Amino acid sequence: MRTIMRIAAAILLFVSFSFAQKDVPMPKELPPYGAEKPLRPPSVHSAKLDNGLTLWLVSEPGFPKIAFSVAVRGGLAADPADSPGISELLVKTVDQGTKARTAKQIAQELQAAGGDVSADSQKDFIEVSTAVLTSRMDAAISVLSDVVQNASFPDAEVALAKRNLSDSLRQRESEPRFLATRAMAKVLFRDHPYHVTAPTQESVTAATSADLRRIFAQRFRPDQAILVAVGDFDDARMMEMVKAKFGAWKAPDESALSATQRTSNTPEHAVFVVTRPGSVQTTLELGTFGPLRGDPDYEAAMVANAIYGGTFSSRLTSNIREDKGYTYSPSSYLRAYQAAGVLVTHADVRNEVTAPTLNEIDYELNRLATTAPSDEELSKAKHYLVGSEAIQLQSRASLSDHLAGLWVDGLPPEEIGIYGQKITNTTVSEVETAAKRYFPAFQTAIVAVGEEKVIRDALASFGIPVKTLQ
Amino acid sequence: MNGFHLTLCRLLLFAAALTGQVAAQQWKAPTTMKKLANGLVVVVSEDHSAPTFGLCVSYGIGFRLEPEGRTGFAHLFEHMMFEGTPNAAKGVLDRVIEGGGGSNNGDTRYDFTEYIETAPVSALDPVLWIEADRMKTLDFSPKNLENQRNVVEEEVRVNVMNRPYGLFFAIDLPGKAFDTYPNAHNFYGEFKDLDAAKIPDVQKFYEQYYAPNNAVLAIVGDVQPDDVFAKVEKHFSAIPVREIPSRPNVEEPPQKSERRATESDKLAKVPAIAIGYRMPPRHSPDALASAVTGELLHNGQASRLYQSLVKEKQVALSVDGGLNWPLGTPYEFNGPTLMTSFIVYPPNVSEDQLVAAFDSTIKELVDKGPSQQDLERIVAKMRSDWYDQLEIPISRASALSHAALFDGKFDLVYQIPEDLAKVTPAQVRAFAAKYLVSTNRTVINRVPAQGEVQSEKKQGAAQ
Repeated sequence: MRTIMRIAAAILLFVSFSFAQKDVPMPKELPPYGAEKPLRPPSVHSAKLDNGLTLWLVSEPGFPKIAFSVAVRGGLAADPADSPGISELLVKTVDQGTKARTAKQIAQELQAAGGDVSADSQKDFIEVSTAVLTSRMDAAISVLSDVVQNASFPDAEVALAKRNLSDSLRQRESEPRFLATRAMAKVLFRDHPYHVTAPTQESVTAATSADLRRIFAQRFRPDQAILVAVGDFDDARMMEMVKAKFGAWKAPDESALSATQRTSNTPEHAVFVVTRPGSVQTTLELGTFGPLRGDPDYEAAMVANAIYGGTFSSRLTSNIREDKGYTYSPSSYLRAYQAAGVLVTHADVRNEVTAPTLNEIDYELNRLATTAPSDEELSKAKHYLVGSEAIQLQSRASLSDHLAGLWVDGLPPEEIGIYGQKITNTTVSEVETAAKRYFPAFQTAIVAVGEEKVIRDALASFGIPVKTLQ
Repeated sequence: MNGFHLTLCRLLLFAAALTGQVAAQQWKAPTTMKKLANGLVVVVSEDHSAPTFGLCVSYGIGFRLEPEGRTGFAHLFEHMMFEGTPNAAKGVLDRVIEGGGGSNNGDTRYDFTEYIETAPVSALDPVLWIEADRMKTLDFSPKNLENQRNVVEEEVRVNVMNRPYGLFFAIDLPGKAFDTYPNAHNFYGEFKDLDAAKIPDVQKFYEQYYAPNNAVLAIVGDVQPDDVFAKVEKHFSAIPVREIPSRPNVEEPPQKSERRATESDKLAKVPAIAIGYRMPPRHSPDALASAVTGELLHNGQASRLYQSLVKEKQVALSVDGGLNWPLGTPYEFNGPTLMTSFIVYPPNVSEDQLVAAFDSTIKELVDKGPSQQDLERIVAKMRSDWYDQLEIPISRASALSHAALFDGKFDLVYQIPEDLAKVTPAQVRAFAAKYLVSTNRTVINRVPAQGEVQSEKKQGAAQ
């Protein structure tokens, strides 16, 4: 939800979430909603170069910025077992030099165009993107195409990035959210490649420029990549430029990475404690598996999640924030990766309400799994999901990023319209079925980051195993 | 790093010549402003690219003017604006907005508190009604105050006390750099002050500051201005004008010497430093140069501090900062502020080494100034960043409302690129020589605590 709110200089401060309570009648004077205007899905020109590079071009006149994203298949889950998280080192160094440009030149040329390189490693893919002034788009395409084809991983840059990553990893290990995310992935996925959320000190230390060059060559190949452009441009001219800049990109002879296998794990219903001395809060997460995109109950599960904890007026926020005052930051999310979906509840709570909070979260999960939502809850959740997609796609950069994500998931650009339609058509019984399938509390694994003694004493009464995670 | 915006005329001509097309000149959306009889300023900007709207109501009150003995109150009060009214009970606001497909939020800053919504246009009428309703009165419920006090204290725990660095660069740094309560106090609030807040405080604050004549309502999106003005007139015009306290003097006595401190951090694993220079007022002749210099030093990998500290000298892990960072853009403040640098550095580097490297970067700027090319580059980036703010209806509404609140007009929002284009290398150099001097700065070094036992006081919220 916060990501929808792209406020000037938004830091996650002073965010005042609100809540909801069902039985209060609406004010009589409140005007009704107006007629719904159909959302206009973007018009995507889809093409493929001879080298296999997929292009999705969205010409949106009228605003002086243009966004580019290049996504390639293979992310953290594709990292070699002995180099977990090396994708993160790769994205930190991919813009640190090419045959033609130094790191500084890359940064300066893009800055002169009004942009920056943003490179991210996800579980299933790596994305390199930038958004620049339309009037400087030629420069941006030159730099971006150079980076994704010719990154050279200079030894000195890699050595510096390794040292800095090692220190910043130590730093992140003091952040409760990082620890919770890492622990949850470990608990849910065990040996499955999705257990990797970040590199380790060992993998950072062991990584070499040669490793990065090899992995780069494996993954950055045109037949496993997409280029998305969104902005004010002429399609034909853009095609010409793209052909000129990306046409010579060649895929290697070796076959592409194979897809990540699905997992047959079931979550272990236990509390996994991550010790964090000095913690004044317990960071609680309850995690389980959810549907994949494309599964028939994906949209119903999304609606169920919006009712449960995915909105400000959800049951979870109403209960543990607006009624009990246990937490500032309750949330739940359903996320579908290519080979697994996860459903995670998150709350940071002061130490003394650790157990009462877990009790309420269990209650809300089970309530959703066992009782039908009201008509208002259903309608609100559906409108929220459809509306928030439209709102999210207002910016060129987020539309570009969203389209790249659809391609990674094997979905067409038309999915933007289809998704909203499916959400709108979801019935209460479909939501009940999905809730019963995914939401029962006994199916969750629980991660608690904080003062171990507080957590152990508090959670003893739940009668489930309490284990310490290293 | 925040973005601004700007553009150099020479640069644009150059770009046009280069690409053989007319480069986009200043971008401006059709925007109109009116004032209701009760003083409410209304700004409407059309954007028909999606069937949505963004709305922002900014009130002219922020932490700078919150009462002594009530640190954190402006923000606690912001939470109370979501807790219902006699007409719309707690919960109605969120149900209406989310049920209409939208989202809402609130932000408190030094000089404004804003309430923002975005939704499909079909939700505009009920959202306007909701905003007008909470401008009339609130449900001053002790139970809800107690509830939100708990929520806010959890917010402080999650963002300050349970987090490495505890926002010391945003809370402790101004606390040391400034001498008077309005600018120096802990804006998130000492728990004793949050605990002391009572319903009469909430009522008084509301009556003093939450009046139509102390607010700007901005709406951006797939709307017709005449239609929006008519709706706003209908919902808001009956709200009475109220007397607003006259604005106190918030100026600071001059800083005479460098201020240094060291703090111990129980949660951090790696040291960090925050450096804050006092800055000129927003509309002073040096203001534009201060904005540009802040970005020249901090914006992205091409910035001077990143290149010098992270890449060349390799004495830092990360560099963030800028003018009025991190609680706003370099344009949106209305009182004393800092240019802040927040630098995380490796444990094997000493504070002295880091500060010496920092100083040599500043000295180079003072000695030589930026080249014309350096300046054009950062100006292009600032312009591009500012357009990011204007692209999305809700953030354009926010920017328009702040400008109208501070200046009585929104022109600055579209003028920023042109204004920044006028900044010269000599101005940046002169600005740096005058302001980026050690007697005008405060430095706080924050180091990981040795051992496990630390008093809770050290954890950041306190100063």
